[in-house]
Amino acid sequence: MRFPFRLALRHLLARKTRNGLTVVAISVAVFLLCFLIAIVQGLEASVRSASATRLVTQSAVSLFVSLPISYQHKIDSVDGVYLSTKFRWFGAYYQDQENFFAQFAVDPNRFLDMYTKDIEIIEGPGGITGPEAKAAVQKAFDSDRRAAIIGIGLRDDERYGFRIGDTVPLIPLLYPRADGGAWDFVIVGYYRPLKDRIPDTTMYFRADYLNEAFESGEAYGDIAAGVYYVNTLENAPVEQVAQEIDEMFANGPQRTQTITEAAFASFFISAMGNLPLFLGTIGGAVLFSIFFSVVNTMMISGRQRIQEAGILQALGFRPITSTMLLIFEGLLISLIGGGCGIVLAVTTERPIMQMLGQSISNYHITPDLVLLAVAISSILGIVAGLAAGLPFLRYRPTEALRSFE
Amino acid sequence: MTDAFIVLEKVCKSYSRGGETLHVLDEFNLSIPESDFVALMGPSGSGKTTILNLVGGLDSCDSGLVRVAGAPVSEMSRRDLPAWRSRHVGFVFQSFNLLPVLTAHENVMLPLQLTPLSGSERRKQADFALDIVGLSGRASHRPAQLSGGEEQRVAIARAIATDPDVIIADEPTGDLDRKSADGVLEILSRLNSELGKTILMVTHDPLAAKKALRLLELDKGVLIEDRQIDEQQREGA
Ligand SMILES: Nc1ncnc2c1ncn2[C@@H]1O[C@H](COP(=O)(O)OP(=O)(O)OP(=O)(O)O)[C@@H](O)[C@H]1O
Ligand SMILES: [Mg+2]
Repeated sequence: MRFPFRLALRHLLARKTRNGLTVVAISVAVFLLCFLIAIVQGLEASVRSASATRLVTQSAVSLFVSLPISYQHKIDSVDGVYLSTKFRWFGAYYQDQENFFAQFAVDPNRFLDMYTKDIEIIEGPGGITGPEAKAAVQKAFDSDRRAAIIGIGLRDDERYGFRIGDTVPLIPLLYPRADGGAWDFVIVGYYRPLKDRIPDTTMYFRADYLNEAFESGEAYGDIAAGVYYVNTLENAPVEQVAQEIDEMFANGPQRTQTITEAAFASFFISAMGNLPLFLGTIGGAVLFSIFFSVVNTMMISGRQRIQEAGILQALGFRPITSTMLLIFEGLLISLIGGGCGIVLAVTTERPIMQMLGQSISNYHITPDLVLLAVAISSILGIVAGLAAGLPFLRYRPTEALRSFE
Repeated sequence: MTDAFIVLEKVCKSYSRGGETLHVLDEFNLSIPESDFVALMGPSGSGKTTILNLVGGLDSCDSGLVRVAGAPVSEMSRRDLPAWRSRHVGFVFQSFNLLPVLTAHENVMLPLQLTPLSGSERRKQADFALDIVGLSGRASHRPAQLSGGEEQRVAIARAIATDPDVIIADEPTGDLDRKSADGVLEILSRLNSELGKTILMVTHDPLAAKKALRLLELDKGVLIEDRQIDEQQREGA
């Protein structure tokens, strides 16, 4: 088939405003779609990567109520428990409020023994790498209460560029110091996530650094643990262990609720209401409305082309040429629009990731998502072009030519 | 009439409109030799455009035979007609029917896309066609930038770009003032006399009709007059 490309391009350029607006609408919609899907995928991923044999013991009252540190040795004594660690959200920033990343106060040496399948220490103090790095880091934790490890994401982000040996001052949002200054941390190692969806931008440091400072009055805050993460022994009856822990604290001073990490992750999500469904619905609505806007644009083009279809047929073109012209134009418009939307989504990935921060740590515009967006854009364009162009196959040339007389 | 170039034999054509059947042509016969220039006149609704559509392969008849340049047009399928049209027929319409988004040159290039010619050959051919109608200087103008007469001349250039045997013109001067009309008729005349094109032209304008070699008068689907136009009348027109 001979396809009049020149004519197709002339048409696109002849309707700059209308086509331009459609391109903008599509790019906004595709961006929004990528954004929403990335959020939903991020939420789901945090559930998926969560362990089913690790328990989280939290206050039965609220996630934001901290558990006493005295609970830890009691938890450790429960049958089936391997190790537990405190896990407390710190909430501080580096130099500027915008430089915000997650920090957790943990029992580092226990934490590292519990998270061997989740993270790997790739470098310790003095440039030690390989299998010895972890032991070196644990030694460093023992000798300096300000010691902290960071994910390689924080090492590689030029806004931070933290290196082993650096002293990093973090300005507190929750726990002010008596001198009004920053909390100092000393980087002693880098970790690399072993699971796809574990963020590489977190800092872990010693919980007793906090608690000792609170005790001595150097800083203001309550001596507490946050929540406890509890690794069970292999083949231990996880549900039963959880139940025993909760029964142990049934009479206070604070009742606990112990669930698996996986349940905790999904609880975290359901705590936001049925967010994934809600976002999915918005995404669907966006897609639906943009679809009609593109179809509408193409239908208007189509109706203005009946005469042209007749002329082309008189000149010897087949009716399908007019259909192909509209499909080509629809495809080009949606691919340009979709492309802009994808570029927007990719370039805003980092800022959005930082904006979402702790709440959704797995916001990623993956290659799969880009591919999906391209596919959706193409289908959009083709369907719109078909809707507008199929009637041409029915017109006889005389009818098409008469249509404007 | 074996040497006839355009033949319509016992052609019947009817349209059905809301249950009613309108018989426009009933066993209609017509024969036009090669390189003739025929003017077809007649009141509105008499079937002139219908005849042009049948000859140009834009529409099919109910029964009978349409033969153009040896090809059995009435027997050809809807699939084959477009390619045949592109090689053998050039259309000129009352309302010019140029594509407004294309320049004059691009409009003329359009039918050449369907030929096996190379890009540069096509451009040469289009230049040549525009030259014939005297509009080489306006090649890059859009239809909106041209006068009606100029638009119609571009349309003629487009119709002859592929060097078809037959030119079919439906009231080509209907939308033009006298002077522009004369210019267009002059070109059609030359295409016929100098390049030997067979032309079938519908017109309501007696002065236009006199530029042709032969005059047909149609009434309710029946030829009521068929005569040659002599030199003298043509000079007088
Ligand atoms: N596609 C169609 N459907 C129904 N009726 C049609 C169709 N095409 C033509 N007709 C009718 O057939 C008759 C002949 O039409 P045609 O167009 O051939 O007339 P014409 O001689 O060209 O008239 P005019 O001088 O007004 O152009 C008219 O009554 C017209 O209304
Ligand atoms: Mg007519």
